[in-house]
Amino acid sequence: MDILTNLMNGFSVALQPYYLFLILVGGILGTVIGMLPGLGPATGVAILLPMTFSMGPTASLITMMGVYIGAMFGGSRSSILINTPGDGAALAATFDGYPMAMKGKAESALAISAIASLIGGTIAAILMTLMAEPVAGLAIKFGPAEYFLLMVAALSMTVSMSKGNMLKGFLSMCIGLAISTVGIDGQSGLQRFTFGVLELQTGIDFLVVIIGIYALGEVFKSFRTLSEGGKKAQTKFKRIWISKEEWKRSKWPILRSAPVGFIIGALPGAGGTMASLMCYNNEKQLSKNKEEFGHGAIEGLAAPESANNAASIGAMIPMLSLGVPGSGTTAVMMGALLMLGIQPGPLLFAQHPDTAWGLIASMFVANVILAIVNIPLAGVLVRLLAIPPKVLYPIVLSLAFVGCYAISASVVDFYILIILGVAGVIMGRLDIPTSPMILAAIVGGQMEQSFRQGYRISNQDLSVFMDSGIAKGLLVVVLLSILLPIISAIRAKVAERKVAA
Amino acid sequence: MIKLKQLLTSAVIATTTLLSVNSAMAADYPPHTINMVAPSGAGGGWDLTIRTVGKVLKDTGIVDANMPVVNRPGGGGAVNLAYMQTQKGKGDLISVYSPPILLTNLTGLTQYSYKDTTPIARLITDYAAFVVPEDSKYKTIKEVMDALKKDPKSVKIGGTSAAGSMDHIQFLLVAKAAGVENLRNIDYISFQNGSLIAQALGGHVDLISTGLGDVAGLVESGKLHALAQTADKRIGSGLIADIPTVKEEGINVTFENWRGLFGPKDMPEEAVAYWRDALQKMVKTTEWKEALKRNGWDNAYQNDQDFSKFLGKTNEQYKGLIKEVFGR
Repeated sequence: MDILTNLMNGFSVALQPYYLFLILVGGILGTVIGMLPGLGPATGVAILLPMTFSMGPTASLITMMGVYIGAMFGGSRSSILINTPGDGAALAATFDGYPMAMKGKAESALAISAIASLIGGTIAAILMTLMAEPVAGLAIKFGPAEYFLLMVAALSMTVSMSKGNMLKGFLSMCIGLAISTVGIDGQSGLQRFTFGVLELQTGIDFLVVIIGIYALGEVFKSFRTLSEGGKKAQTKFKRIWISKEEWKRSKWPILRSAPVGFIIGALPGAGGTMASLMCYNNEKQLSKNKEEFGHGAIEGLAAPESANNAASIGAMIPMLSLGVPGSGTTAVMMGALLMLGIQPGPLLFAQHPDTAWGLIASMFVANVILAIVNIPLAGVLVRLLAIPPKVLYPIVLSLAFVGCYAISASVVDFYILIILGVAGVIMGRLDIPTSPMILAAIVGGQMEQSFRQGYRISNQDLSVFMDSGIAKGLLVVVLLSILLPIISAIRAKVAERKVAA
Repeated sequence: MIKLKQLLTSAVIATTTLLSVNSAMAADYPPHTINMVAPSGAGGGWDLTIRTVGKVLKDTGIVDANMPVVNRPGGGGAVNLAYMQTQKGKGDLISVYSPPILLTNLTGLTQYSYKDTTPIARLITDYAAFVVPEDSKYKTIKEVMDALKKDPKSVKIGGTSAAGSMDHIQFLLVAKAAGVENLRNIDYISFQNGSLIAQALGGHVDLISTGLGDVAGLVESGKLHALAQTADKRIGSGLIADIPTVKEEGINVTFENWRGLFGPKDMPEEAVAYWRDALQKMVKTTEWKEALKRNGWDNAYQNDQDFSKFLGKTNEQYKGLIKEVFGR
């Protein structure tokens, strides 16, 4: 019952009016920052960091927590409404969130996103309270071989994404993998495909790929029809809530995705993007409404939304219990802790119990407050859809460029952004799916590096990739996720032939 | 009326133009604004250093000019270095760099070197630390070197930076001084996704080459064991002070991850003199000393002349090593 007492002490800190106020303010700021393309939780926390210094460690950390969770809530708003994810973790929300909005179900989409985030975040906070130590222990068991298999499992999603046209999906994936090789290769220190451009040495950020393909691609696509006035997506709005039927469909995906997201989030370097993509794919495999995925299936939005919030809390584990930042945001937070004179790591809970448990309690509180704030906020945001494209698209365009500049402060990225926008249009015309390309651009770099790390550590012995128990388990997941969609595709074909015959 | 208005306007424009020309011509240093450049994104060592310098100079009133911090990331600092070539002869740009300004040039990632800047001062330093999991079979750095001498593939070295950059080079410098041959054959594995320390905790690499400041907390908690650090003396207090130097282990070498300030090439002499004076004052302030303590930095102040000499000497040392390992 030690944990419970500690947690109660934590709540007695986090529920003080002053801290509630800080969570609320941080949360709203975070939501706004999270909505802007290119600006994710890491940037949000970094921007607000200096302001929190005068507050003292506990208040400062709690504010940052509010911003962090707020940004996770906000990230998917723009995915759903304008098909442009606020950051990587909100990418999966575009797959079914945007189609839902286009079908006139934006209210349900925004509501389920907030609900799933709340439940996912809360489950993860409970898991964190109870199992921070064992999960941290599991996270460090992931060596290069396990990371490689995890990335392959994520990449195998492209198979199911390109159902119907395997070849075009494969082509799209190869373009994405090619993009991920640009830059200085860590293992050899050599430049690849940088063409003497200094800015390319750090590689092409996958957020630039996402913004280019989605935001710019979307705007370019509608150039032809824009002068005809274009129709508004929606003009009448209902209450932001979901129907009983929709809840029934989303319930299990939300509950299943939270623990998975939590564990993937706890792996340093994997994070919310990977977690939400993998959970999306899981649900697609498990769902009875497979063909609806990608065309506005509510469970396809609920699962990744639950997973990415759970992952954002999981990402706190390596920082709090090992003193190792596991993601960009926690790296910034850890820097802040150090500046405040607090050393995160195994001794944190012993030396600063107030701060540590206050932080954990504030995760619970922040999730609830943000869900409450986000539902009325969604009622305002959904009116974006009533703006005619003629007015909306120039705004999207400028946000895209601002967001792109915020990522790396490089003008070179603008050219890449435009090229990718045009590529998005061309791929659309040729009916080549863009998601495999984006997924490969996200996963490819780390997949390759992990493979070469593992291969080098084992003295060029491939068996390292199936040595450990975790590796074997992941190998099964990989095989299943590649084979299942193929088998079901074949079965569908066979059934079709039978019907035709 | 209209005429009068026009007249007035042109008069105002003329005076303001003249005034600004005048102030530029007088050119008394410092100018109104001096850009403090971190050649990286927000967060991280360069950014923190330049922000701290700006803050201390402002708080203590040593420098009166506006000193906004500009982040110009890319190419491990090379993007900013290329930009600085367009600012030759100017005095209103100060940038922070560390050993990578030498390494990116020596490994051929950029054509510009420290010689294309005006070194202003060395300020602080961190040291390399060589760290193993707590149950490692290696108890001293000497044992690691002996194992590498027998079989260069027997110890896998992990680091954050890319091959050929700092974490790699600092280990090889020590290995070379310890008499390990075939430096080229030592396996260095780069973990750029932020998982390096977790890899060490999980025992996936045999040894990690990193900064002393980055692992201090884990060493103190006993989860990682630091075999050696590369200062010429013991550093810090408690368990950190128990870490031996490589020199004590009979390997005669030091490595410093220094950070210093640089201006554009051909910076005006009065600007250099101004900064020499300002920084000399700054390093003596209590505000600066507190900042050093808070961030775990070691004071390593050198003025512009000493710093230039130091850079020349260090550059030659790295050059020989990189030639040996990479053949370029």
